Amino acid sequence: MSVWIIALNTFKEAVRDKILYVLTVFAILLILVSRGIGWVSYGGELTVTTDLGLMAIWLFGALIAIFIGTGMIYKEIDKRTLYTILSKPINRWQFVLGKYFGLLLTIYVNLAVLTAVFFGYLAMVGAPVTLALGQALALTFVEMTVVTALAIFFSSASTPVLSAIFTFLLFTIGQLTKWVVDLGSVLQQSAPWAEKMLLALYRVMPNLHNFNIRQEAVQAHELHKALAISPGETLNVVLYGLSYTAALLLAAIFVFRRRNF
Amino acid sequence: MTIAADANESAIRTRALRMVYHPGLMQRSKVALHSLNLDVPRASIYGFLGQNGAGKTSTIKILVALQMASAGRAWIMGTDVIHPAARQHIGFMPENPYFYEYLTAIETLVFYGKLSGMHGPSLTKKADALIEQFGLKQSRNTRMGEFSKGMRQRLGLAQAVLHEPAVVILDEPMSGLDPLGRRDIRNEILALRDRGCTVFFSSHILGDVADICDRVCIIHKGQHVAEGPISALLNQKVVEVEMAFSGIGPEGLPRLAEQARRAWHDGRLYRLLAADDDEALRLRAEAEAGGGTLRAMIPHHESLEEYFVRVTGEEGELKLLLDRAAEAASKKNAPVEGEKAAEAEEGAPAP
Repeated sequence: MSVWIIALNTFKEAVRDKILYVLTVFAILLILVSRGIGWVSYGGELTVTTDLGLMAIWLFGALIAIFIGTGMIYKEIDKRTLYTILSKPINRWQFVLGKYFGLLLTIYVNLAVLTAVFFGYLAMVGAPVTLALGQALALTFVEMTVVTALAIFFSSASTPVLSAIFTFLLFTIGQLTKWVVDLGSVLQQSAPWAEKMLLALYRVMPNLHNFNIRQEAVQAHELHKALAISPGETLNVVLYGLSYTAALLLAAIFVFRRRNF
Repeated sequence: MTIAADANESAIRTRALRMVYHPGLMQRSKVALHSLNLDVPRASIYGFLGQNGAGKTSTIKILVALQMASAGRAWIMGTDVIHPAARQHIGFMPENPYFYEYLTAIETLVFYGKLSGMHGPSLTKKADALIEQFGLKQSRNTRMGEFSKGMRQRLGLAQAVLHEPAVVILDEPMSGLDPLGRRDIRNEILALRDRGCTVFFSSHILGDVADICDRVCIIHKGQHVAEGPISALLNQKVVEVEMAFSGIGPEGLPRLAEQARRAWHDGRLYRLLAADDDEALRLRAEAEAGGGTLRAMIPHHESLEEYFVRVTGEEGELKLLLDRAAEAASKKNAPVEGEKAAEAEEGAPAP
């Protein structure tokens, strides 16, 4: 119950943050101008429109998580609003989860709005609105649970600036993990230790590349496929995302429980 | 020393409470609390006094679970403060309370009420009643961002008492308030005690403390140097006698001015301060011989402020040194017993 009360309050706080609207407006603008970019691009203009729209939703979702999430817990400490909350009969883990779910709710509502704008726009310009696109967006939603957990983890331990840097860094590395493995394979012969190190890095870092099936989703229509990836693969990716999120939240709770304010 | 708390005895109890801050590598640790023992009786107003940095806020933060003690234990109404259930008994107002600026006064109280386990129409009704009681009715739907410091302080107290806790802990509740605001908070503290609530508060405003507290504890450098009812702590001897005479002009009487501790004309009466009763009688006779007529004679006893200065000054330093020396000596003489006692304390179940 306390988690929900704090989550709802966090949602109220986040929807009053101007940066949310700035980012949302930019995302909508990007979706709307994607047709124009499609006209001047090589290849099918509707494909480019769809591709850019998916990317805009993903990118701006992540930016909201980073910009709002990384300051979330620190702000409570800095403004001392935390004092009156933690003195109530609640556990610290409830506070951390409340902040997390509140921010996630904000991001989901935002992504839902962007998805509605995106699908509406696709229908308007005559591009196909497929199940594969829905699948790609669903995995974007799951990816945001991981990115939000990253932001909350760093926010529970550090200042907003450092949290934003770390979260952005891990978010970027997370997109490149596939290349980390490829690089390891290349180095297998010349530097086996480097391969082992890269493999360890691959296992620890959030493998956000797993959630990126946007290209496959755009091509699914042309290839006459209903889904971008199989349901089994989708389930694996979802389970990975949820497990990674749970681990990050446990780490955030562990750090936050030990802090003195 | 026993560590187990008697649930029926104290509203707040601490045993061997110690707090050490570790600022970071290459920096010396700072001991904020040295083995603090407190017993705050139920349904009383308990003033917790000390200079800046004495350890007041550290103690309060441990009691409300914002900090974890480095050693020792604390109980609220018999429940160890490390359990969230202890906070069901607490209402807490921090120094200069801050609230979410985007929430209105009523939303703020409802939010805190829900966190305290309240819900439904009874919560809104209670929140509205408190808003009215604390004179915030006009600002019920005003966002906290527009609240003045005094208004925030009053709402801070309202959120602390909303769920009718048995213990209310206030950190500097009167700081920065105007006289009217201070009077309101003082009256509310008295009303809380009359309803059977225990009020534990820290303050620098010793006049307010002396007016309303049943007991006080003074801590100095993390250790308590005095504790008890104010009347029992203060020196009951007359420490000064003030007299006022008419019939003596602003120029005064030179002999009186030389003998008195202080002599001055306040524009209406000539006033003298004598060190004790005997000196007062002597000065009175001389003043009357010089044409003065006695209008008032007021014996002054030691004030809480004077007592505070005394016990946190040289006298307090000496007591600390002696206490620490005695503690060190007892540890040195009986290390085995000390360790056993510490182990027993560690293993003692929460009452």
